[in-house]
Amino acid sequence: MTCYRFRQTLIGLCLLLFLFTTPLLGTENQTDQECFESRDGMSQVRVEEISPGQVNVKCSSTTGGVLWWGDPFAGTIPMGDMDIEADYSTEEAVVKPREPELDKNKMLTICSMACHDGNYVPIPHSKNPRRLKMHLDTVPDALNLKHGKGNIWCLDCHHLVERTKLIDNFGYSISFNQPQKLCGKCHGQVYRSWRDGLHGKRIGMWDKGGKKRWWVCTECHNPHDVEQGERNSGFAQLRPESAPNLPKGMTNANHERMHHGAHSDGNAHE
Amino acid sequence: MPKQDSSKTKDNKLTSRRDFLRSAGNYTVASLSGAAMLLSDPKPAKANVTWEEHFQKNYRLMTDEEKQQAIERLETRYTEEYGKPVTVDGSPSMEGVLFGYALNIQKCIGCRRCVKACVAENNQSRGDEQQIEWIRVLRMEKGKFSEADRDQHGYPESFGVQVGGNAYKPAGVVLEGQHYYEPEQVPEEDAFYFPMQCMQCEKPPCVKVCPVRTTYRDPDGIVVIDYNWCIGCRMCIGACPYWARRFNWGEPNLPKEEMNPVTHYLGNRPRMKGVVEKCSFCVQRTRKGRWTACVEVCPVGARKFGNLLDPNSEIRKVLAKKKVFRLRADLNTYPKFFYYMD
Repeated sequence: MTCYRFRQTLIGLCLLLFLFTTPLLGTENQTDQECFESRDGMSQVRVEEISPGQVNVKCSSTTGGVLWWGDPFAGTIPMGDMDIEADYSTEEAVVKPREPELDKNKMLTICSMACHDGNYVPIPHSKNPRRLKMHLDTVPDALNLKHGKGNIWCLDCHHLVERTKLIDNFGYSISFNQPQKLCGKCHGQVYRSWRDGLHGKRIGMWDKGGKKRWWVCTECHNPHDVEQGERNSGFAQLRPESAPNLPKGMTNANHERMHHGAHSDGNAHE
Repeated sequence: MPKQDSSKTKDNKLTSRRDFLRSAGNYTVASLSGAAMLLSDPKPAKANVTWEEHFQKNYRLMTDEEKQQAIERLETRYTEEYGKPVTVDGSPSMEGVLFGYALNIQKCIGCRRCVKACVAENNQSRGDEQQIEWIRVLRMEKGKFSEADRDQHGYPESFGVQVGGNAYKPAGVVLEGQHYYEPEQVPEEDAFYFPMQCMQCEKPPCVKVCPVRTTYRDPDGIVVIDYNWCIGCRMCIGACPYWARRFNWGEPNLPKEEMNPVTHYLGNRPRMKGVVEKCSFCVQRTRKGRWTACVEVCPVGARKFGNLLDPNSEIRKVLAKKKVFRLRADLNTYPKFFYYMD
């Protein structure tokens, strides 16, 4: 009798365990989980239920990347005064604001108000590269800027006295939400291509006049490291999603890694 | 035949008399017809497949009323099966639209997010037993050209025939593409990537060979399948030069909580055992104006989609400004899926 009861409890426990663990295995995800949209760590989004049974995003259990948008416009604001090509000027273009992401702990705001107001900390006389004496911890990329091969420095992009802003060619400020205005200063061709809707990505409605969420530069590129070391590519490497299952009965995929030839000795790739 | 039944199917609490009649009917027909054998399957999901569904017409030949009834039947069944409100859309082809797709192979990093996004959107079977993915990504090697790999002596004497310098020590690109690559990080230094899916051909070989004409090309350019009319002969799979079609060899495994309840009759509604499926340009989204799941998910923006008839659309700009090619254009399939480079 006790044995029987014990077995029953065990089965019950197993069933409970199964129920709790199963949803974690699929692409379906728990609410409140954090995933990234394009740049891991710099484009975070939290899974939320937008209507009963519907989530705002579905994330990959393998990589933590967003796979699917239930609401492509969640958390977006109007793109603002952008000169989108004529035929698309009637469209509703929105962007996800970058400020909340970049200024998560309100550091930028505090810096700007407390010290870098143009009075307390003097404005640098020249924009020449120099070794920073302070804030090496708060600006981790600062000493390792990989952008422009030494031809640009912090204040070519960041505003002198408004640390929550970027700067344009005339010294006016640009919002972090509109980095394209800054990047377009040098990368004109890419900027035009982006404006055409070719470079970069958009989500939402494909049709003419439809609402679109435009991805801005810093959502995909790290402006402090656009070289990515030896790769010299603007886009950082990502972890790929899992490979398809092998056909039944096949134990490995060596067949497709084989460099054929008489003297190749069956050297599989890698 | 399906004229009086839309009210009945909505009523899930069947009377005992109706139950009796149904099962009696099932047994009678099971003994006569192969198609109705399915009805006697003891699985509850199968039992809910209504009589009308089995004997409905080819979707293309249905009247609007019959289409609506077919859709309502499915909505009722799916809602019951998946435990949440499921909608089945029947939006017809869009006026003045010809869908086109462009993929930048220079940008693609081979991350396979499009593959998984497609599965999340389109209700494919998943899991170890039967995994169906509509997009496949090939890893193409860039090739190795080192002096050490060269052999300056040609074929060995013993082979008899001298065929030239380096023929038996391959250098450069040798592999024909890998499906199962799994590096830590992509893109890899020595590779580029080549995703493939249904090309939505203008002259689709799959449509030509379908003996029951259940797969056909809608005027907006999407090659669609009426799963209910598919007999599972797999002729289309053999005919497709792009390897775009997949077959449900077994009962599809689609967990209730992962099921996408926004479906289209000709697109991502749950499929059954024994039918063919493939990319439908996310017909449930695109005919409502929304981008496809793969376009939206691509982290490098390599995928573009739009109306080929609109001269200002992104797709037309790609065709005008970039270097474009189509896969296997020599077959005269006229794909509406373009590859391009910057």
